[in-house]
Amino acid sequence: MKSTQLALIALIIYALGEVQCGEVPRPRGVSLTKAPLYQPQANGKWTCLDGSKTIPFTHINDEYCDCADGSDEPGTSACAEGKFHCVNKGHQSIDIPSALVQDGVCDCCDGSDELPATGCSNSCQELGAAEAIKRRNEAEVHRRGTEKREELIARGRQLKADRAGRRSELQSHIQEQERLKSEKEQLKKTAEALESEALEVFKEQQRELNENTAQAEEEPQQMRHEATMSFVRYDTNKDGFVEVTELMVDMNLDQDRNGVVTVEEAKYFLDERERVDLDAFVTLAWPRIKPLKMLAEGLFQPPLEAPKPPEQEQTEHDSPSEERGDMAPEGELEDEHDEGEEEEDQYDDEEADVGIGEATPEIETTTTAPNYDPETQRLVEAANEARNAFEEVERQIREIEHEIKEIDEQENKDYGLHEEWAVLDGECYTYEDREYVYTLCPFDRVSQKPRNGGAETTLGRWEQWAGEGEDKYSKQKYTQGAACWNGPNRSAVINIKCALEPKITAVSEPNRCEYYYEFETPAACDSEAFATAAANSAHDEL
Amino acid sequence: MRFTLGICLIIGALFSYAAGVDPNNFKTCEQSSFCKRSRKVQSTGSKYAIIPGTLNSYADSLTADLVNKDNHHQFTFKLEALMGNTFRLQIDEKNPLRPRYRVEHALKGKPATTQIRVQESQGVLSITAGNSKAVIHGDPFHIEFYEDDVHVVTVNAKNWLYFEHLRQKAAVQTEGAEGAEAQDANPDAIQPPAETHEDPGAWEENFKSHHDSKPYGPEAVALDFAFPAAEVLFGIPEHADSFVLKSTSGTDPYRLYNLDVFEYVVDSKMALYGSVPVLYGHGSQRTAGVYWQNAAETWVDIHTAETNVVSSLVNFVSGTRKTPPPSAHFMSESGIVDAFIMLGPKPIDVFKQYAGLTGTHELPQLFALAYHQSRWNYNDERDVATVSAKFDEFNMPMDTMWLDIEYTDGKRYFTWDKFKFPDSLAMVKNLTDLGRHLVVIIDPHIKRDNAYFFHNDCTEQGYYIKTRDGNDYEGWCWPGSASYPDFFNPVVREYYASQYELSKFKTVTADVMLWNDMNEPSVFNGPEVTAPKDLVHFGNWEHRDVHNLYGHMHIMGTFAGLLKRDPNQRPFILTRSHFAGSQRYAAIWTGDNLADWAHLQHSIKMCLTEAVAGFSFCGADVGGFFGNPEAELLERWYQTGIFLPFFRAHAHIDTKRREPWLFPERTRQIIRSALLKRYSYLPLWYTSFYELEKTGAPVIRPMLTHYPHDKEAFGIDSQLLVQQRLLVRPVMQQGVSKVDVYFPAIDDKKNGDYWYDVDTFERQERAGYVSVPVTEYKIPVWQRGGSIVPKKERLRRSAPLMLHDPYTLIVCLDRHGKADGTLYLDDEKSYKYRDGEHIYVNYEFEQNQLRNNFIGKPKYKSNAWIERVVIAGLQLVPKSATITVNGVSQQLEVEQQGNAVIVRKPGVKMDVDFALKLNY
Repeated sequence: MKSTQLALIALIIYALGEVQCGEVPRPRGVSLTKAPLYQPQANGKWTCLDGSKTIPFTHINDEYCDCADGSDEPGTSACAEGKFHCVNKGHQSIDIPSALVQDGVCDCCDGSDELPATGCSNSCQELGAAEAIKRRNEAEVHRRGTEKREELIARGRQLKADRAGRRSELQSHIQEQERLKSEKEQLKKTAEALESEALEVFKEQQRELNENTAQAEEEPQQMRHEATMSFVRYDTNKDGFVEVTELMVDMNLDQDRNGVVTVEEAKYFLDERERVDLDAFVTLAWPRIKPLKMLAEGLFQPPLEAPKPPEQEQTEHDSPSEERGDMAPEGELEDEHDEGEEEEDQYDDEEADVGIGEATPEIETTTTAPNYDPETQRLVEAANEARNAFEEVERQIREIEHEIKEIDEQENKDYGLHEEWAVLDGECYTYEDREYVYTLCPFDRVSQKPRNGGAETTLGRWEQWAGEGEDKYSKQKYTQGAACWNGPNRSAVINIKCALEPKITAVSEPNRCEYYYEFETPAACDSEAFATAAANSAHDEL
Repeated sequence: MRFTLGICLIIGALFSYAAGVDPNNFKTCEQSSFCKRSRKVQSTGSKYAIIPGTLNSYADSLTADLVNKDNHHQFTFKLEALMGNTFRLQIDEKNPLRPRYRVEHALKGKPATTQIRVQESQGVLSITAGNSKAVIHGDPFHIEFYEDDVHVVTVNAKNWLYFEHLRQKAAVQTEGAEGAEAQDANPDAIQPPAETHEDPGAWEENFKSHHDSKPYGPEAVALDFAFPAAEVLFGIPEHADSFVLKSTSGTDPYRLYNLDVFEYVVDSKMALYGSVPVLYGHGSQRTAGVYWQNAAETWVDIHTAETNVVSSLVNFVSGTRKTPPPSAHFMSESGIVDAFIMLGPKPIDVFKQYAGLTGTHELPQLFALAYHQSRWNYNDERDVATVSAKFDEFNMPMDTMWLDIEYTDGKRYFTWDKFKFPDSLAMVKNLTDLGRHLVVIIDPHIKRDNAYFFHNDCTEQGYYIKTRDGNDYEGWCWPGSASYPDFFNPVVREYYASQYELSKFKTVTADVMLWNDMNEPSVFNGPEVTAPKDLVHFGNWEHRDVHNLYGHMHIMGTFAGLLKRDPNQRPFILTRSHFAGSQRYAAIWTGDNLADWAHLQHSIKMCLTEAVAGFSFCGADVGGFFGNPEAELLERWYQTGIFLPFFRAHAHIDTKRREPWLFPERTRQIIRSALLKRYSYLPLWYTSFYELEKTGAPVIRPMLTHYPHDKEAFGIDSQLLVQQRLLVRPVMQQGVSKVDVYFPAIDDKKNGDYWYDVDTFERQERAGYVSVPVTEYKIPVWQRGGSIVPKKERLRRSAPLMLHDPYTLIVCLDRHGKADGTLYLDDEKSYKYRDGEHIYVNYEFEQNQLRNNFIGKPKYKSNAWIERVVIAGLQLVPKSATITVNGVSQQLEVEQQGNAVIVRKPGVKMDVDFALKLNY
């Protein structure tokens, strides 16, 4: 027993042993700043730091947890919630959990958390030196980066000013156009009144001539029918609204033929709304969409529009994997398993495209105008002219409004406290790994494309800055990317660091369909903030 | 493990994500021709009789010939008396056309036999061996088994013995009479029973698009067992069902056929990944069991009295049992009758008798009992490093990181994806430096790729399972086209085992342990997602004969490989498929469960059944494999998981990440405190596993184990006992503020043990249901009065780093102020404990004094010591305590804390005798 107890006592003595390196004697594991709290009272007692209990001073670091807050065992592992202070002279001081004390693993760089027998080396000097160099380098990057950032700020502010100028210009322009519009509207009304009068007469004559006028009356009905059909097809999420995103899958609407139906393009068809219900679709959207549909019909036949048996369309829509079941041949299967990600992407695209092949309403491609008598013809033409003039003004107003809206959107985007991020809007950066090319277009979208060809998948669209508190501008979030099979919509978080050149340094997918980009840019450089942070952390150092 | 699209693709069925398994993909008894035929006997009965004059008796056994009086086919039976109140009954054909398969490798060795005494009177034979007796009736053939003169089991009680002898296929087959045997080629053969004769499934069978060629025709064996002293039956895992078996009248029988079931449903008799054909009958006075040793597809009908008001009233009034005793009808597709009848008499006796036959898990390394962190998949080295570091950052203990199939190079086992894991050894070292471990998966399906060494070796050496026509069988699994090594061949096992040698598998260390999944085997495009039954194994046995043993042979190879790799380190293996005896090599988990409350509840039911069937080392994927658990479910799952022996969080690749720090602070704290609780009880788990190896007594136990007379306790499967020390009743319902706990009775007067809440030491003194309030942190657990539980209450990053940490003893007193309990410790890693390098001690508290009694000499050198002794149930608070060691005494402080007192810092080392006295 003597020997065993001796072993224990030796342990305790070591634990109690006071730190010699500082000027102030204090129990093991206590920081210099907390040293005054570890003084015995006159009666040799000491009160736990949370005030919960008074114990003999000798119970401090005696390998038994007396205080609820663990404050009596700063130098042992006895208290589950305690803290041990690593002095780490030459490097940074830290507090580590008691769990790491004397567990045979060197956690403090000065090795003070372990018994000498563990043989921890003191690496604080080297680590401190390396840290200092690293910090100097970082400071240098921040210093030079901040210069670049100043340029970005200047350009950003210029952009902002330009936008403001342009906006007021547009604002006054729109007022002119509004005036013009009412003028043209008046002219149009007059012309149309004349036209309709003449047409009434003409129709009366025609009705007499031709009993078969039911057709003409059905036309609006037909139009509504077509529109409804299209509405149903576009409304892929079946929420009773056609949204911008639902239109964006229809390449027929890619008016500028740049391969992408942009939000703006899509919005045009929705009368600049985010979404429309059926009535609005019929009256506002369909008249705009239909001509493009007709155009597409007449000029080319996209391969996807090849007729499909109706039941197949049904299954494709409802049951993705059944279609995959159809293609069970063994060789392909292997690929599917190996390239799980890729096949899903392909699948997503198919799903998203479902509407296209079918959204081909049967429309009468030939509408022959009746033969009017010359006077009626003249009035009709005059009315057409008036209408065209009116629509031209309307179109111009819309364009201006659109531009204003764009400007407003940009204004709402939050380009940082000093507009330093504005220049990045409109840029795109790419990163290649073994399988994919990843793209980041700040403030717009992030995407992924297989290197060996295949469709691009949207990983997310600009949502907001997502850093916490003061670090707000250290993270961006992109959401509402393409949906994953059996999963959520893809999304991405961009973690941003300071560097001299803009660059994506890594992309990962820690969660299924949640992507994580590491992005560097001088816009994130701030030598002042860096210096403050460095000063704060250096504060703890001895 | 999992099944995503693969299965849908190949079998062409479409599963919706939430709906769960499609039962149509698996056979019913009606669709399995032998089951249909065997079950039909339940209405007709059979006529087997001993042939007079064929009886031979030996020192420990007796043999005789049997005849089927319907077809005059002859059989032999052997009844053998084994040590430990057990009989073994074997029935085979007297002259089979070809040998019938006899299960190998399931028993831990040849069972020791014991002397018998044979007596005959009036044509009835009595065989006595110690306390047990078998009474054999010649015609109709049946055997009654008695334990201390109480009738506990009858074999062939209902004359449902059914034994399809091997026969020649009829030479001529005419349409419409397919499979019929108009002329039997064997001149001695008698007309087979009509069932076989007419059954179109007798010589070939189709299921969905699969054809079973059945070259040997019908060869089923079936037998019924009645349990006259029992009221409930339990056992025959693996099923996602209640602990007590339900009657199968009006439903399919319970099925034992190792299958990879996608999104299995609970409350089901369907087959799952493992098959352990051991069944117990329990009543207030006696417990008995039957181990039906057969590795072919097996169905088990359960006949229990339907207890309703009328029948109970009748029984009450008449004072007798009017209903027939519960019985079980085992029906297997091939093989022989090989049944072990274990006669108890107490539950713990019969569990030990079964362990005596098939063995126990050996004492695992301590880390294996700690927390395992898994996910399909941790993507790369950085991911592994980050997850490990995050546990440190949040000061949560974690022992083992797991890598699922994606770590391999294209699902070629024994290889690594070099891009994601360029330096696996450095990754392993980062873990092991912190006392942590890595487990990697190795599945039995081998990618058919000419650039893959393992495939080439197997192809060249003929190591794969063969088809009927002698070619390598090709199935479909994770790698795509795959073949399956024939682990029944000892040469193949040897080859496979040698792959684990570090000179070959260079990218791991001897600290990296193994996970063997998909070893039913899972074959995505096979019948019922497994291998066809007419494949051919080593020794020319059909897959039909050995199916349920395939995973067992796989892990035997792994175990041999790990031992070979490092003979002094105890292997850790996790397997999904298992059979009787697999517990000697591996832990199991309940497979691909779902993140819902019902699956959480079934984790306990299933592991209790597994535990009494030999598999104490059982757990369920914490959080649920499929789906995303909401925070509350995850919290409760952790709280439940810490009280199952195997404790691993795991998740499907399509689920959201769910490492604890990804949840809000509250959830994080709840999980952390659950983890701390698990680690604090590691000394108890470790001691329990040592005692499992020593005695065969399960680590976790159903209530009836220690409260066999309390009928109310029989069916309770929402709570469990850890040994006889803790009663655990986790919260497994959503949004509850209280749970009903049943404290079992020890006598007819509703007296119970004392039970102390392990957090507050509040005491329950009465038996019966108690509604206990719970908070989100509360895990309702009680320590039995009369027990002492060893704990370690210091927090570390991982279990191995706790090696030298001091112990806390929790002493909970019974009515007489007494308690006792064991503690076992050793180096937690090597086999030196087998040479006695351990400390095994029983602590006893009596008359205000705590003493230790070493069991064997304490030979292990430990630095650990006793940090505190907590005593609950004292009448008065002592002023102080005195510890005396070798005549030297020292005064210790005593402090009251709530309902317990704490003796501060006895400080005595673990291998030293002491006495600790309370002073008033």
